[in-house]
Amino acid sequence: MLIPLSVGLVLLILLGLWWAIHSGQFESLDSEAERILKDD
Amino acid sequence: MLTSVTTDTPNAPERQVLPELATTTARVVDDPQEWQAFSTPVAAPVATADPQAGEWSSYISVEGMHCAACALNVESALLGVPGVSRAEVDAASKRARVQWHAGRVKPSAWFDAVRRAGYDAIPAHDPVGRLQRQSETRLALWQWAVAGFCMMQVMMYAAPEYVYGPGEIPADSLRLLHWAGWVLSLPVLVFSCTPYWKSAWHDLKARRVGMDLPVALGMAIAFVVSSLATFAPGGWWGDTVYFDSFTMFVFFLLTGRWLTLRLRDRTAGALDEVLNRLPEAVQRQTEPGVWEQVSARQLRVDDVIRVNPGERFVADGQLLDVDTWVEEALLTGESHPQERRVGDQVLAGSHNLSQQVMVRITQLGADTRHAQIVGLMHDAALDKPRVGQLADRWAKPFLWGVLVAALAAFAYGAAQGWPHAVMAAVSVLIVTCPCALSLATPSALIAAAGRMAREGVLVRKVQALEALSQVDTVVFDKTGTLTTGLSGVERVWQPHLPSTGLAQPQPEAAGLEVTTRHAWAALAAASNHPVARAVASWVATSEQPLSHGVTSIREVPGEGLEGEWESPTGLQRLRLGSLRFCEAWPGVHVPESARSATVHVVTEGQWWMSLLLAEQLRPDAQATLDALQAMGLTVHLMSGDRPEQVQRMAQQCGLDEGRAHGHCTPQDKLDRLRQLQAQGHRLLMVGDGFNDMPVLAGADVSMAFAQAVPLAQAHADVVALGGRLMVVAHLIGLARQTLSVVRGSLMWALAYNFLAIPVAVLGGLPPALAGLGMAASSLWVVLRALPLNKTPSQTHSV
Repeated sequence: MLIPLSVGLVLLILLGLWWAIHSGQFESLDSEAERILKDD
Repeated sequence: MLTSVTTDTPNAPERQVLPELATTTARVVDDPQEWQAFSTPVAAPVATADPQAGEWSSYISVEGMHCAACALNVESALLGVPGVSRAEVDAASKRARVQWHAGRVKPSAWFDAVRRAGYDAIPAHDPVGRLQRQSETRLALWQWAVAGFCMMQVMMYAAPEYVYGPGEIPADSLRLLHWAGWVLSLPVLVFSCTPYWKSAWHDLKARRVGMDLPVALGMAIAFVVSSLATFAPGGWWGDTVYFDSFTMFVFFLLTGRWLTLRLRDRTAGALDEVLNRLPEAVQRQTEPGVWEQVSARQLRVDDVIRVNPGERFVADGQLLDVDTWVEEALLTGESHPQERRVGDQVLAGSHNLSQQVMVRITQLGADTRHAQIVGLMHDAALDKPRVGQLADRWAKPFLWGVLVAALAAFAYGAAQGWPHAVMAAVSVLIVTCPCALSLATPSALIAAAGRMAREGVLVRKVQALEALSQVDTVVFDKTGTLTTGLSGVERVWQPHLPSTGLAQPQPEAAGLEVTTRHAWAALAAASNHPVARAVASWVATSEQPLSHGVTSIREVPGEGLEGEWESPTGLQRLRLGSLRFCEAWPGVHVPESARSATVHVVTEGQWWMSLLLAEQLRPDAQATLDALQAMGLTVHLMSGDRPEQVQRMAQQCGLDEGRAHGHCTPQDKLDRLRQLQAQGHRLLMVGDGFNDMPVLAGADVSMAFAQAVPLAQAHADVVALGGRLMVVAHLIGLARQTLSVVRGSLMWALAYNFLAIPVAVLGGLPPALAGLGMAASSLWVVLRALPLNKTPSQTHSV
């Protein structure tokens, strides 16, 4: 029972990954980290 | 002509910029027609909206940033300009995205804001190329992530079989586990393996064995056998599934591929930055005799433009006034000059060689230059030096050998049963890594080229790196290469003045009237020679109409310019050039005190003026020569300038007197070059290509600085932007390092294959390990290349 559930979960995760990559979240991994150093 | 380039020291003289170019920059970026090149409109499509009224999103390249704090500075500078709504600056890629409203601010305003903050901004000209690379990178990331996640989950399903013995797991649970593994291997098969399917398909269609064919075959066999074992466990294929091995080796392969892609991306990004320029400014005729400077993009069919020697024809056109020689090497590969007569067609992208000409435009194209250069870079990146070509030649028979070995493994393993045999064959197919043979060279070359691109050096021909590693002699040109060019007039001699001449005079003090200055400027502007450019900028006035009744301008390479001037007192012939050139007219005699001047101006029968142009050695010239000599290289200096001047410069930078030669005509330079080559030396020639094209072409490796004429830039193996001479020493050092990395990687790849294949044939290698081995060897080869990309870190002082 749990096994088909895990399959479904992974497929959902893949969908989420697709969205994350194509909405540009992985473009620049450093600039967001540096943003906390801004004064304002 | 290019505008500002960063210099090393605050006091170093900048290159001469003709007065009109400073405003050209502003005019060009403020032109709505230019915006399409580096911006996209934000809200409504351009067709319906007036470009002046909407929001635009522009991409620019920012130079001079060396850390994240700089990026923040630039961002706040941009956001401080009213009319700019968003600004995002990325320090890693040195790009910025600026969103601004066309009705409220002009681009030149925020370009200036960046400059006032201390950085330089250039429009990023490659929205299409960048988007394409972005989508490729995203796809690769997606494929890798899918393989990674599925691999991890499939491992979980496979784990019980490793832990429990056969028969201990209930049959229906086992089937469920196999089914789950199959389901999650599907995304991997469909998404992540596609590069291999595509490549294998192309190979099959072309009827040849490529690198990816054995890999694709191995993947296919592993998946098919495992699927059969899942759904029909009773057959000859056995009931063991290999989904864990399958997903794992796909993941490892894609990791190697991802790293190579990132490296390529970084390099391409750096090279793109280096190629970003302001659009070319071209002189266009508005009325007969009146010229204006416009961006190449604004030209229309039937416009008449003027092209100087060494410059590029920006569009197809018909020659109007004089015959000239052109060079079409970038288009047709034909490197011999071609003669073109009045009425003939000249092609966009070819270079004008001999005379200033007028051309009527017959056809405009897309921005051919950028496309051309990018195309050249791509070709150059695919070109491999001899070492790499050797590896490629071996790859083909090697791959056939792999297929044979796979069959042998199958035959050998058949004794232990079909499943074993199949898996042994799969292992052989996967473990062999000829891609290490074919990856070793490109990864090292690309890493090295990327590192040089960050220093502003464009390696156009990748074979040049190999030649550079073997260079033992460096020949420098003087003006503009070893020196920063001619930066002004030090002394002037005239007929009725004391023989010592005037020091540091302005043109007015030298008694030149405005009409005369305009005439000289018009004559001097017809050439790109550094001396001509220096004279032109000295006599230039603030309003410089671009034509002053000087016609029939003729340039004699290595000597000077001649033209006919409709002066207030009648038609006069003018000559501007070397002593020999000017005294060739009977009756012209330059007095003794003025004979050591750099350039002379005479009319028929009379000497008018002589100018001594100031020249300064580049700040790092001495250090560079020391570094080169410390690396064991011999340095020569060859120049067409007067020997006294050449010796003076040589002394200033510590060069041996015997190695500095003055009064060299282009033929002299070529002869000396050939002599050195006949003695077995390998030469790097560093020059600006002006009058030197055959010399640049004749050297083993040639390097041009950015001030070089476009023709030299187009032909030199290496183009250096920026004014630092040290890049020559860095480049040679890096080339040597690169070649040693390449050789080392090839040895590793060979050793790995010789060890791994026998083990796999004998059946001793499970497919998962095979995948690991293959990916590890590819990765290792790529990783060996990575240090080439690193800039040496500075030592910290305590």
